[in-house]
Amino acid sequence: MRFETAVALRYLAASRRRAHVALIAAISIVGLAVGVAALIVSLALLSGFQDRIRRQMAERTAHLTVSPAKGTLLPDPETARRALESLPGVTAVVPILEGRGWISDVDGTAAYAVRFRNAAGAGNAEAPAPDDVRLARPLATRLHVDEGDLVRLTSSRTRLSPVGPIPVSAVLRVGAVRRSSALEKSAEVEVSEPVARTLTGVPAGAHSLEALLADPERAASAARDLSARLPAGHRVETWRERNAPLAFALRLEKVVIFVTVALVIVVAALNIVSNIALTVVEKKRDLGVFTSMGATPGALLRIYLTLGAVIGLVGTAAGVAIGVGIAAAADRFRLVPLPADVYMLSHVPFAIHPGEVAVIAAFAFATAVAAAILPARAASRLAPGEAIRLSR
Amino acid sequence: MSLAVRAENLSKTYTGEGAPVKVFSNLSFELPAGTFAAVMGPSGVGKSTLLHLIGGIDRPDEGRVEVFGEAIDELSPRERARFRNAKVGFVFQFHHLLPEFTAEENVAMPHRIAGVPEGAARRLAGELLARVGLADRRGHGARALSGGEQQRVAIARALARSPGLLLADEPTGNLDAAAAQTVFDLLRELHAERGMTTVLVTHNPELARRCDRLFTMTREGIAAAQGLSERG
Repeated sequence: MRFETAVALRYLAASRRRAHVALIAAISIVGLAVGVAALIVSLALLSGFQDRIRRQMAERTAHLTVSPAKGTLLPDPETARRALESLPGVTAVVPILEGRGWISDVDGTAAYAVRFRNAAGAGNAEAPAPDDVRLARPLATRLHVDEGDLVRLTSSRTRLSPVGPIPVSAVLRVGAVRRSSALEKSAEVEVSEPVARTLTGVPAGAHSLEALLADPERAASAARDLSARLPAGHRVETWRERNAPLAFALRLEKVVIFVTVALVIVVAALNIVSNIALTVVEKKRDLGVFTSMGATPGALLRIYLTLGAVIGLVGTAAGVAIGVGIAAAADRFRLVPLPADVYMLSHVPFAIHPGEVAVIAAFAFATAVAAAILPARAASRLAPGEAIRLSR
Repeated sequence: MSLAVRAENLSKTYTGEGAPVKVFSNLSFELPAGTFAAVMGPSGVGKSTLLHLIGGIDRPDEGRVEVFGEAIDELSPRERARFRNAKVGFVFQFHHLLPEFTAEENVAMPHRIAGVPEGAARRLAGELLARVGLADRRGHGARALSGGEQQRVAIARALARSPGLLLADEPTGNLDAAAAQTVFDLLRELHAERGMTTVLVTHNPELARRCDRLFTMTREGIAAAQGLSERG
């Protein structure tokens, strides 16, 4: 063990005899531990919810989407389809047709504006039957319909008739009512591909192509490959890019929570400053003695930096143990229940990400060491002769 | 005979809180190697300051200090630290042992600062403690030792790195007559054994007379040019 480390550890161990220093050291360590634990629990709580949102994102959004760079229809859907299917890891490719319109019950008593699309898109387990429609629960409730009832879906597109242009519409059976997703931007109804073609007036081709990947995390590299294989006039987007605003909001939320709760650690670090400053003052004579024995100013600096590092290490380790323990127990034993019918979750989920724990631990430790720099520098700049002379 | 210490035209003023305090100016001092010298003088004339300047833990405002031919004022802080560790041993009036450490750890500290591994440093410290008659007190903390024992540990610590120059600042000033005699005798014995140069600041004329040389430091006015006179 280096001389500086041995001295720092002995100072810390012997601080029990100096009640005021021991108290401040204990407050520093407890403060740091509380800050680290609070940060870990807060981020685990946030990660628990965010992971679910991301999973929904990956499930409900196609992993790769090829759309036209200009206009509404793909310029060369067959080439694009072949290019997609030739990519390694692609498990499904589906042409997508989408449009806007109104949905109403068959009596036409209430109508709501909706977006419709063929539901064989990526993320859906299976396409609806040819004359079926799949509705979200809130929309079904507003229409007062349930599975088996009939609805009328009217497209914004018109066709010419002997009496003039009339809207294109289809009467469809409610095949399934699904839970609505928090990620839906507006009411969406899902229909079969033939119905979608009829409503949109696109007998061949597609507005876009959607693909599912075996590993959604490989979407970015697959998109790069695909862009190189596609002719001009096509645009490729990954599921992350399509959900970029939401992903940014989630990241921002985490950063804000980190910065806010990290203030606890900063406050704890101020205690470390006062603890080490007090030790420097009390050990002023020792500094002179160490200097007389040949200790360099750098060695004196390292003694007090080590003191800060040891306090930081103990506080951080305790905080990590407490924080991870609380978050793991809260998730494992479902300690925070939620009304399932409101939140679609029976309990508050906690997800511990080792990377985040490592960042928190590194931040807390670095803050503790940084807090020691100021008093440690003061110690290293102390005039040794004066320290000895004044401590007689 | 070669010189252990050559100090030329030293001036030192302390500028802390309040008005600056001039300790001495134009002080010159030479000491042949191997001498056991005593420095006497009234309080406040700068005896301790002189030791600090010679030992390289403080710098003069003006003048030059050479120890064993090395101009220590020209050394970098790191080189001065190495110089102190290797060539100078300090003994202070109030022993200044580190209270968190045992006698053995205190004596081992200069070795540890020099980078000697802990085991070897403790072994060397144990040998030195045995030499000063404290082999059975090696595991005791500084507070568990008597005043005389504390000062003997401090002497052992000062000699840990076998320095060529021992600077003792009133090492017997805080001890009763018997303990002072023991400590002084020990210093003399070790000085002879190790062939060191020793500078002893003391207020005890009887001990001073038993040294090879006696220097008397006085304050001749505020700007005394020759505050030190040498007796053979």
